[in-house]
Parts: sequence; C-alpha cells; structure tokens
Amino acid sequence: MTASTGTGLFGALREQLADAAAAFADSPDALAGILAGMVDDVDRALGERLEIFPVCHHSPASALAMLRRLRAKQPTVVYLELCEDLQPLLAELRNCRLPVAVQAFATELAGFPADWAPLSVVAPITEASAEYQAIAYALDTPGVELVLVDRSTDHVFQWTPRSGSGPAPDAPDATAVGTETAEEAALHGDAVGVEIGDLRPRFAELEAYLLHHGKVRHWSEWWDQYVERPLAAADHDTYRQVMVLIGSLFRRLRPGDADRLDRDEDRERYMWTRIRQHLAASGADPADCLYMCGAFHAASRVEQFGLDSAAPEFAISPRTGTNWRYGLIPSSHSAIEAQFGLAPGSVSIAAATWAKSLSRAGLVPYRLDGQPEGTKRSRRGRATPAPAAGGPATDRLTGFLAAPPALDELDEAELRGWCVDIVRLARRNGYLASTADAIAVFETSILLAGLRNRARPTPYDFADAAVTCIEKDVVPGRRDVRRLCEILLGGDRVGQVGYDSLPPLARDVLDRLRPLGLDLEKRTVQRALLDLRADPALPACSDLLWMLRHLLPADAVRPIMGERRLGHRSPQESWDLALGRNQRALIELGYEGVTVEQVLEQRLRRAVRGPDATAAGALAAVEDAIRLLDSPRLVDELGARAVELLAAERTVDDAPDVLRRIRRLLAHHRTTAARLPAWCEAFVTTGYAHYCTLLPTAFVDESTGVRQVGAMLGFLFGMEGLALSLGCDRSQLELAVAQSHPEAPAKVALLWASRHHLGLLPRAELRARCAELLGNPLVVPAFPQYLSGFVHALEPVPGLAPFVVEMMSTAFARLPDPVLLPWLPTLISTLREQGPDLVPLLVREAERTFPGTLPALDAWVPPWRATGQPPPAVPVAPAGPVTALLAARPEAVDAVAALLGCTGEWRRDGPSPAGAAGAAALVAAHPASADAVAALLARVSG
Amino acid sequence: MSDMLRAPAEVKYADELDWLESVDTGPKPFSWRLSPRMVRLFILGSERADGLDREIPQKWFGDRSFVERAIVTLASDRGLLLIGDPGTGKSWLAELLAAAICRNSTLVVQGTAGTTEDHIKYSWNVSMVIARGQSRESMIPSPIMTAMEQGVVGRFEELTRSTSDVQDALISILSEKYISIPELDRDNIVFARPGFSIIATANSRDRGVNDLSSALKRRFNFVRIPVVTNKRSEAEIVRFRTEELLRRHAIDLDVPPTLLDILLQSFADLRAAGASAASDDEKLESALSTAEQIGVLEDAILHSQFFGDRTLRPETLAGSLMGSLARRSPEDLAILNKYLHGVVEPRAKQDGGDWAGFLDGGRQAIASLS
Repeated sequence: MTASTGTGLFGALREQLADAAAAFADSPDALAGILAGMVDDVDRALGERLEIFPVCHHSPASALAMLRRLRAKQPTVVYLELCEDLQPLLAELRNCRLPVAVQAFATELAGFPADWAPLSVVAPITEASAEYQAIAYALDTPGVELVLVDRSTDHVFQWTPRSGSGPAPDAPDATAVGTETAEEAALHGDAVGVEIGDLRPRFAELEAYLLHHGKVRHWSEWWDQYVERPLAAADHDTYRQVMVLIGSLFRRLRPGDADRLDRDEDRERYMWTRIRQHLAASGADPADCLYMCGAFHAASRVEQFGLDSAAPEFAISPRTGTNWRYGLIPSSHSAIEAQFGLAPGSVSIAAATWAKSLSRAGLVPYRLDGQPEGTKRSRRGRATPAPAAGGPATDRLTGFLAAPPALDELDEAELRGWCVDIVRLARRNGYLASTADAIAVFETSILLAGLRNRARPTPYDFADAAVTCIEKDVVPGRRDVRRLCEILLGGDRVGQVGYDSLPPLARDVLDRLRPLGLDLEKRTVQRALLDLRADPALPACSDLLWMLRHLLPADAVRPIMGERRLGHRSPQESWDLALGRNQRALIELGYEGVTVEQVLEQRLRRAVRGPDATAAGALAAVEDAIRLLDSPRLVDELGARAVELLAAERTVDDAPDVLRRIRRLLAHHRTTAARLPAWCEAFVTTGYAHYCTLLPTAFVDESTGVRQVGAMLGFLFGMEGLALSLGCDRSQLELAVAQSHPEAPAKVALLWASRHHLGLLPRAELRARCAELLGNPLVVPAFPQYLSGFVHALEPVPGLAPFVVEMMSTAFARLPDPVLLPWLPTLISTLREQGPDLVPLLVREAERTFPGTLPALDAWVPPWRATGQPPPAVPVAPAGPVTALLAARPEAVDAVAALLGCTGEWRRDGPSPAGAAGAAALVAAHPASADAVAALLARVSG
Repeated sequence: MSDMLRAPAEVKYADELDWLESVDTGPKPFSWRLSPRMVRLFILGSERADGLDREIPQKWFGDRSFVERAIVTLASDRGLLLIGDPGTGKSWLAELLAAAICRNSTLVVQGTAGTTEDHIKYSWNVSMVIARGQSRESMIPSPIMTAMEQGVVGRFEELTRSTSDVQDALISILSEKYISIPELDRDNIVFARPGFSIIATANSRDRGVNDLSSALKRRFNFVRIPVVTNKRSEAEIVRFRTEELLRRHAIDLDVPPTLLDILLQSFADLRAAGASAASDDEKLESALSTAEQIGVLEDAILHSQFFGDRTLRPETLAGSLMGSLARRSPEDLAILNKYLHGVVEPRAKQDGGDWAGFLDGGRQAIASLS
C-alpha cells in the first residue's frame, strides 16, 4: 500500500507524521510507511459508502458511541461481525438475564477429525457492549433488519489447522482466577470463544511495551486509561477515527503469523461478500446501513473491502455435514475474563463504567423488550430524534493526537463512597478495618493516582490503595481485599437463560420436577425432601433425579439420603439440587435429545458400542439400565452386547469387575423373575468357556495379576452349577487347571487352592507342601507370596478359610522378621482393596479358631496342632429292645455296612462290670448303714 | 574505591541523587529531597521515554506497584512494613527508599530478642547523669528519635524479632508522632518534624514468634514482597549483585552465562521440589531466595579467585551450592543427593557440557559433607 502524499482529508497529519518519522527513526522509510499507512487506513474506512462502525469488545465507550450513533442515524440495516448461523438465537436473548453466551455445539461430526468432538463455540454477550445495543435496537425497532455476516461456526473449525491436537479452547489465565471465582470462570466449559471486536496487540512484546510505558499492569487497565476514558465523551467522528487508527496500528504492528492473518483477512472477505450479497438481494440503500465490526477489521486492506470494490466475491466453502445445535448458556463476567485473558474484574468495571456514563450523559440505552433484571427503562418516553444528516467527515485525529490527555476531574464523592464501602465490606469479611482505614485508602488512592500521572484515581488505583492500607499479614476470611474490591466495583455477575429459551429437555426437567415445590432456577443449592409413599407424584421425580444424577456433574444433583441399587429403592430420599448453578450442563444435555430418558438410553448404548467398550462396562450399563430406566428391552440389548464383548476380550484385566457385577445381576434376576433372561445364561456359558480357555495363559502371563486369576477362578467355581446346568462341560475346567503351570509363587498357591477345590489335592498334602516351604531356608523369603495367593484364593474357594487362617498364623509364628515385616504392608493393602469380600470371611474364621477370652488362651491349642489327641468316645447306644434285636440279628446291618464300604465291628455289651458285683457283696456283708438309712427314710416319710 | 566496605545507598549513589534532585521539578511532600516520581525512577531505573539526559540504572527488581505503594505510604500518615521471605530484598528496598527520600538510610534499629524500649526511644549516658543530672545533653536518643527530630525516615529491621512490648512502643510514635521524656521537667517532649516516617521489615517465616498487635498493625501499611520466581528478573538481580561484588573485591573474573543458567535452573528445580514436598523433612531448610543464589555465586567466585585458577568452574559452583544449602544432616543432604541423581544426572547425560561438571562437583561435595 503506498501512502498518498499531502492531499485529502488527513494531508496535514500525514505530513506531520512523515516529518516525525524522518526526525526520530533510524530507518525513516519503515516508520513513515507505518504511520502514513495508518492514516491511509483511517481515510479509506471513513470514505466508504457503507458506514463502518469500529468497536472494541467489552468497551463502554464503544457501547456509548454506538448508542449515540444509532439514535442519530436510525439505520434500517445493521450488519454485525458475529457468526451468521447464530442469528436465530438472538431473539431469545429477551428471555435471559445477561451475561449469557450464544452457543453452537456439535457432538456428531462430519468432515472434522473425530477426536475434536464435542465442538463448542460461545459468543458471550454483556449489557455494556456495543453489539448488545445494536441487537436491542434492531430487534425492537420495526422495519430494522439485523444481519450477521461473519463466518459460520462450522467455518471456525474448517479454518482451524489440523496439524495439532484439535481446536484449543482459549486458555484461561489460571493464576488470574481466584479459587472462589473458579466455578463462575468455568461456566463456558471447553468452548472456543468468539467475540466481536477483538482488539489487542497481536504479539506479546508490543503489549509488554505498552504496559511498561503506560505504567499499568494489565491490558484492560491500559485500554481504560489511554483509550476508554479519552473516548468516553468523544463525538462520533473522533471516536471512529481514533478506533480505526488503533485497529490499523495493531494491524500493521504484528508478527508474520501468516495463518492467523489469513484467517482474519478471510473473515473480512467473507463479511464483505455477505454484505454485498445482502445489499444486492434486499436493495437497501447503503446510506441507511451500518456495519459494526472490530476496529481491527475496519482497517482492513483486503481487495473485497468496500462496496465499490471490483474484486470478485470471496468463494465461501460449503458447510460440512456436522449437525450443529444452538442454544444459550449462562455466562458470567469472570467466565468472559477467563476466556479472553482479561484482567480479573475488568468486565465488572466496564459494566459499572457503562452505568455511570449513561447516567452522566442522561442517555437511555436500548434494551430488549421483556428482558428480566433490574429496572427496565421505559421506552415510551424516549424521544427518537430525527435521523441526523451525515455531514462530511473532518479531521478530528490531528487534534486528538496533539492535545494533551484530558485529565478527568477528581470525583471525590465517588471515591469517598468507595472508601467507606470497602471498609464496611472488609469488616464484614473479618478485617479489623476502621474509619481511619477509609481515610487512609482515600489519601493513598489520590497519591497513587498522582504518581501514575492521573488526577482521578481509577478503580485499579483504588484497589491498590485498599490493598496497601487494609491488607495485613494474613487474610482473615475467604476473600482478600483485592477480591473485595472486585465485588465492590460491580462484582461478578452471572447470567441466566430464561425458561422460554431453554431447550425442550431442560424445560421438561423443570416441569417434571415441579412437584418438589422448589424454584430450581435459583442459583442456590436447594434441599428436596421426598417421602415417596406420601405423595404419588414424587416417585416419578425421584426416578428423574436418579437419571440426572447419572448424567449431570456430581454437584448438580446430589443425594444426601436414600439410594437406588439393584432391587432397592429407599422409601424416603433427600437431595441437594443445584440445577440453576449448573444450567449450562443441563442445556448441553438438551443438545443430545428431547427427554432425559432418551439421552440416557443413547449414552448407555454409546458406552457399550464405543471402541473402548468392555464387558465390565457393558454390565455396568446393564445395571444402570435396570436401576434407572427399567426397560427390559434395553437391558436385553445391552446384555447381549456384554456377551459379545466378553467373548471378544483377549485380556482378563476386568475379571474382578465382571465377576462382581454378574453376581449382582444374577442375584437380582433370580429374585425378581421366574427364570433368568437369555443374555444372563449366555453370559454365564460364554464366560465359563472364555475363562476356561484363558486360564492356562493367565496363570503364566506375568502381566496378569493374582487378583484377576482369582476372579477368573471365582467365576468358574461360583457359576459352575449354573453353567453345567446350561450344558457346559466340567472336563473343560479340569483340563484348564491341568494345563496351568504357573511359576509365580502367588499363582502357584492359587493353583493349589483350585486343585484342592476340585478334589485333586487333599488338605493334608496342601499342609505338607506349605510345611515343606517353611522348612526350606531357600524358599522361605517367597512364602509370603504364597500366602498372598491363598488370601486371593478365598474368593473362588471360600472353604479354604480355615486353612488360610492356619497358614497366616503359622507365618506369623515362624517367618523371620526380615521376611515378615516387609510383607505386612502388602497384606494390609490387599485386604483393604478387597476388604468387602475377603475380610468378613477371614474374621469369621479367625473368631471361630482363636479363643475369645483371656483365660481360654492359656489352655488353647491351635486346632491344626490338636491332631495327637484320642478321638472322642463314641456314645454308648442305650440298651433296649432295638439294640438287643440288632445285636441278635446283625446280618442286615453288616450287609448295609459292606455296601457302604464300612468295615466297623460290633461292640458287644459285656457282662456287668466287676465294680457293680463288688458293691453288692459289700452291702450284703455290712447291712447296718443301709438299714439305718432305710429307717431314717421311713421316719421322714411317716 | 571507597574506604567503606559497604557504603550506604545515599553515599554509593550520591551523584545520581544529586543530579536527580537538580532536575526534579515535581511536587515534594514534606521535607522530601525528591518527588515521589523521582524516588520511583531512582529505584526502578529510567527509560528513554522518561526524557532524562542521564541514564539511571535499576536498583531494585520487582513489581512496579510494590514500589509505588511503598512510596505513597511514606507520603501518608502511616508507617511502611515490608514483609516477605528472607532474601527477597526488603531491606535493600527500605535502604533505597530512605536514601532517596531523605539521603539518610542509616537511622536503623535492628530488632532482636534483646531489643528494649530504650533502643526505640532513648537511653541515658549514666556518667553524665551522675555528673550533671538528667538533661537533654545526657540523653542518648535512639535512631528513631533522631529521625523524628530531623524529619527523616527511620528504619526498623526485623520488627517481629523483638518482643511484643517493645513493638508496642512504636504505637505512640506512629500515632501521636512525639516521644515524651517524663524524667525531664522541661523540654520533655520530642515532636516529630514533617517528613518523619518509619520503614519496618518483617520476615514472614517468623510469623507466630512475636506477632504484631492489632493496634500496631493498623498503624502500618503492609507491602508483601514475594520471592522472585521469574527467571528473567532473577537473572537480572543475580547479575546486578554479582557485578557489584566483583567490583567491591576488585576481582577480574568472568561469570559464564551457562553457569548462571545452571544456578538459576537448579534453584528453580529445588523450589519446585520443595513446593511438592509433603512434609518439612522433604524440603530444604533454606528459603531458596534470590539472596541465597547470590550467596552461592559469591562463595563460588571467591573460592575460584583465591583457591582456584581464577576461572569459575561448574564443579566449584556445585560445591558452593551444596555447601550453602546442606544445613541439616541427613535431611538436606538426602534431598540434594536425590536432586543430583534424579535431575542433574539425566540432564548431564543428555546435555553434557557444564551440567556434567556440575554433577561431578556436586557428588564430591556431598561425599565430603556426608
């Protein structure tokens, strides 16, 4: 672009700048080129037939200038730099409390890499913005058309380079977001943010340079001090010229970032093409139109710029087949700051500045009819001035650039108000602040502002002063003084999407939860108490809440009391509901379906059909389907898929999970139905064959853990009865065990336990093998691993519990400390992990084995050592006719015994023992004592 | 070369201060020698945009707003308390502020467990009292009292090291701005002249030893100075202080930039390790401040100068680093050993160069310390 010399509207300025470049720069050509080019850009933008209105995002000065211009010009068509496919949503803004974000969302992608899903674009809209003024004006003024001309959200991703790992969301500045605001700051989720009027230095060094020389800390502060305030009261021409100049400056001072630049220029070509197409189609007079775009784009130099450009139309690529869904989600000042890297509190300060500027200028802003929140200003009394005739533009730039910065008058009343309020707020938050602090903050603010070359302290000066004077060594409460200042200067504001603008699913949820009698649109956590027997409407609410619990983030719907397991429903439930605070999640759920049931069904299906689906995951989905949806059709479908997944699995990593879940499901079906569903039977038979096949490999495979092998054996032994009844062959299991030759001690112990279970290894031999291990000093260090194997064997062979207790006691008694002690943590962690299954069994067995009282301990002999004692005496059968008969005719009993293989002998009752005969003889020889006793008894009875 | 081992800032930068005073046209509070903007410029250095004929070097490295807040506090009614970890440059900033504002940074009370109220107010020359009785002549004013009489800035170092009753003696000085001398019948009040203020420093690691009373807290504005974690700023500080040191010792020795990088990187690594440590035993006792980095480098330079071949080598740097940071045995030694093996060794294998020498030196130092 060549600079025209000394002519035109800005001829004087151009010459002045060229002289300055020659005087100051080492290489005057480059600088002169930039300076003159900037003036050219302004000249061209102003000379365009279609009025270009440059703006900056979240700038009250832009909003104010836009408001004034709309009032003055009353355009019939407003072109807006915003994704064109978002247009239908704008009318919904009237149901919302701002700030909200217009969102486009897609989960089913076509034409984009699958790992980009889900795609999400948000465009936040605040009240203190020029775009909102334009939208409100256009939508509420009859005969005015609003046309969005920027590329569609589909093109946002079409133009994203595919070399990386996907479209990165605008990275929020983590350090700038306090813990308290983190929740609000995350309102946009992972969405890619688009904004109208992005105006910021395009490389870090330029921004750092401006901040350094402007003696400010944040870009927002720099903008506020050097652009926002000087332009707040500027007239239309000055505003436009200065904004285009700044846009041109940032455009010309940028790195050679071709990609980004190309995209910006493509966007400009896109917008001009759309504008021309619209003008041609509608026949509107360009003089009655207004094109609102970022100042960066106002200084565009693309060939399609301007209505009179002869360049061919930009070839707009068709959209991909991606199914985009649109909606509004709540936004907040902190979310906007985090998304676009603005200083914390800057959007709130902009909102406060906007409100103050309005009242100072006595202006009434445009506001959508029916919009909630605040005092709706009546539009009836507003006099709409006659359209101003557009006079020829004059050079306002020279005066603006040459004039010293207009120092704002110190607004003492405002500052005093802030000081008093911050002290009050600080006291409420635990600070020992007093009136003396208010005075000190006031004084320090003025001194700081003076040190920073301004007469009137900005909110940033005030915040620094408050921190200096009130903040001490510790923060007494949750919020520090800087955060309190943010709250004071406007605070974070969270928007809300009104009921009518919610997607059908979200409306349906709110309708169905109405019996709870709570205002679920509130942002507070609300407690719902449900007595399911008392009110017939409540069980349906409970069902819905359990589904939402499954679908929404954990804190949105949280059960406090009550649970829903397979076959169990609590009669009473209480819930903490925070649906208002999680409105975005609920709205995004609405993009997936029309009802919660439909979304849940889809998600469950997706969970079992995905590339990483597992049998355990499918069983979990089956459980959820039974628990939440109670749909036998879906359960059968998911169950059948679980069988397929199990048969296709090549690893047994999930075996413990599979075992736990299928046991639970079988128990559920056995208690609720006459017979098992077909998929359950198929799962058991498939699992039996599957695990039998994999058992030998799992035993030797180093990467397969003992727990997994234990769970496989648990499945095989636990489901054996059912599997055999369904036609499985036990020899398959016996073969599998016979083919297993593990080497790891723990797995060897597991194998021994299985052989014992199958009757192939008697307990005495098992004990002997263990004794041999303990007796061999070379193997003793590995004994704990054997023991770990036995502990895991409790799952498949619960009957081994006495033996495990015995071995554990032996280990504690005999293992040397250097072997025993390092193993104890492993034992404890194993027991902790599998506590619910193994510990009760072990404890019960230990309780049975060990003495329960201290005195009993002295006489206690471990059962496994008590083998040398004589067997207890066989009770003597009482004499009687049966005994006599059997003794007299023993043949039948002997025959039965022979049949049973018992070789017992008859014990004959011999003659009465010798002792009895001796006693009789003694009494006969000495009858005196017996006689005396007889006489005594006779006397007593007489 | 000055005949003082360490000249106070107002002496060291006397030329600069004189020149700044001569060109300063801004409004000056009280009896300040420089306007607040010039004070800031003296401390943070000048830029081309300031339009000065002479370049003023930066003397304190940190956030601009800390300096601004400190300056306006001194221009207000309150005292200034600089609080932060050891080695963050609090005392240096205090000295620079006092030097710039009143050309006297030596009116210092050092807070210790043995500091008494006399050190803050006044004491008596016992011989003179016996000879002439109690009078203003036989009174020994404290540095704070002198500052009050002269209307300049007094400094109180390590405020939280002195006991609470001594600290509270400052309350009346900061509120009423006078000290009464009840022992005298007349001329028994010393009023502070305009321009008097106090800059105190406190170590945030001493919190809980002698906490400030609420009454005293509200008479001070707190400015918290954080540990410098920005590598670029830290490099600037270390370079600035090292040059000064080399000049002071008249040492002609070059600090290779690669070694400076190794020093900064190793401190950054150790800080990160300390931040993720679960208990005090897993982090070094040292605060790992910038001052300690300077200490390590100073030690290495002096060692190379007097016991080495007058070339700074990575082995020497490693030895100094280990020697400075290993304060507790075995905890600190274990951490440093872990650092050498877990972080330095892979880096030495990958990058080689000075890291390999640093590893060798570190190992030797650990072996000799163990």
